Amino acid sequence: MRFETAVALRYLAASRRRAHVALVAFISIAGLAVGVLALVVSLALLSGFQDRIRRQMMERTAHLRVSPARGARLAEPEKVRAALEKLPGVQRVSPAIEGRAWAFNAAVPGVVPVPVRYRSAADRPSAAHGAVISGAIAARLHVQAGDEIRLASSRTRLSPIGLLPVTAVVPVDEVRLGSALDKPGEVEVSVETARVLSDTATGAGAYEARLERPAEAERAARAVQAALGPSYRVETWRELNGPLAFALRLEKAVIFFTVGLIILVAALNIVSNIAMTVIEKKRDLGVFTAMGAAPASLERIYLALGAAIGAVGTVAGIVLGAGISIALDRYGVVPLPSDVYMLSHVPFAVHPVEVAVIGAFAFATAVAAAVLPARAAARLAPGEAIRLSR
Amino acid sequence: MTGFETRTSNAEAVNAPLAIRAEDLSKIYTGEGAPVTVFSGLSFAVEEGVLAAVMGPSGVGKSTLLHLLGGIDRPDSGHVEILGASLDGMRPRDRARFRNENVGFVFQFHHLLPEFTAEENVAFPHRIAGVPEREARRRARARLARGGRAARGHHGARALSGGEQQRVAIARALARGPRLLLADEPTGNLDAAAAHSVFELLRELHRERRMTTVVVTHNPDLAARCDRLFAMSREGIAASVRLPERG
Repeated sequence: MRFETAVALRYLAASRRRAHVALVAFISIAGLAVGVLALVVSLALLSGFQDRIRRQMMERTAHLRVSPARGARLAEPEKVRAALEKLPGVQRVSPAIEGRAWAFNAAVPGVVPVPVRYRSAADRPSAAHGAVISGAIAARLHVQAGDEIRLASSRTRLSPIGLLPVTAVVPVDEVRLGSALDKPGEVEVSVETARVLSDTATGAGAYEARLERPAEAERAARAVQAALGPSYRVETWRELNGPLAFALRLEKAVIFFTVGLIILVAALNIVSNIAMTVIEKKRDLGVFTAMGAAPASLERIYLALGAAIGAVGTVAGIVLGAGISIALDRYGVVPLPSDVYMLSHVPFAVHPVEVAVIGAFAFATAVAAAVLPARAAARLAPGEAIRLSR
Repeated sequence: MTGFETRTSNAEAVNAPLAIRAEDLSKIYTGEGAPVTVFSGLSFAVEEGVLAAVMGPSGVGKSTLLHLLGGIDRPDSGHVEILGASLDGMRPRDRARFRNENVGFVFQFHHLLPEFTAEENVAFPHRIAGVPEREARRRARARLARGGRAARGHHGARALSGGEQQRVAIARALARGPRLLLADEPTGNLDAAAAHSVFELLRELHRERRMTTVVVTHNPDLAARCDRLFAMSREGIAASVRLPERG
């Protein structure tokens, strides 16, 4: 251990013998620990919810989507299907068909219809499947799972009495609640229903594929793009959910910086603690200088003191924060109304990478807080420090 | 001052190579109040291997002079040359290394670091020089053992008596085997018996090692046992040289 580190650690350990220094040291360490704890718990809370959103993203979004670079329909749908089916580890390839419609309550006349956007869902290939609607649509149409809705497409067909909208009556299979993935006006229907509503007997606007390993979607996308050429656009599930993923990241960054302010406030305590130690140990600085310590060495003593305070506070905060988060999640301490959130309790997830970032931020802040008093220590006139400490 | 011949300039006493050559030094303290001139135009020289005493009233700048000679403070003007090396142009890092290798300091109030044991205090000059902790402590133990203080090595500085503290402080000053020892009233805070004992230790070490030693003291009896006596006043510094028959 370097001599500067040994001195800093001894100063920190010995501070408990001097009540006023011990109090300030305790406040510095506790302040930092509380800041780290708050940040760990806050991010664990966000991660708990966001992990569920990401899981849903993986489960419900296509992992690859091929659409025409220009135009609304694929010129060679079979070529696209074949290119996707050739991919190693592909689980399912299905057409993506979308359009606009009005949704009605099929059983109760008089309920105001709702404008919706329907889209085919890969896991609902046949007409045997009903629709999945959002909680908002269900509320406006006064329907629940098991009821029927009528979808009237914006497309029309010619009938003996003139143009009529294409319609389909489908049962509601599921009402989704509280998912960030759900767009309020979107209805998932079977591929066959979507074909009827969009009047697309064959082909599709796009093809979607689900992969065994979604993490390798980028590599698969490159292979498909190479096979199909530039007239097709190949997107991965990350790109398809880019805006949502960005929003999730932004949310986390905002929480990090706002809750992280506690750590910055704690850093001010560290500045005062180290400045107080510099004043109290002024004589020691003179003695170290007399023994041959260079100014940079004196500076390192106080940087090491900042690092020691930072390390103790950070580790304490991480241990407490992670412990609390894990306990809150395991024992479901914070309940949620399950009819609103589809969750029985608030989920917490501790991510090691995030904890490492918090730890690095807190530690770096503590060391940075020591820079000013450490530089002041290096600039002290050692002769004066010895002379005045008689 | 019987036994000493007073000279107006100590330059005349110089025959052997000089360990200390300080010329035309001035030092001004600028604090919150008006600047205080401690001394101005002060010259001072000591030959190698000499045990010199510096006496004078309080406030004439004896301690300041030692700090300038040891390079822990810088003069506002003038030149300091120690053991043939000029301190004037040295960078702070080089001056620190020079001090670590060549200069030992002993202070009136021992200035042992209270958070550390006697052994750790004596090991510090080695640690500062980059010697690994285990080796530094081994050397410190050996140094304390030579002064008969090995058993007290693990005691905290506060647990030692005044005399013991000063002996440990001397051991610390000698840790790196310096060629110049600067002692600022090393017995000023001790009772007569302890002061005598500590001063005899300094004399003995000086005899053994032939290192140049400058002792600031207010005690004329102790000063009389040195090779040279320098009387410092507001006007400057006058050198007294021990007469040959008294040596």
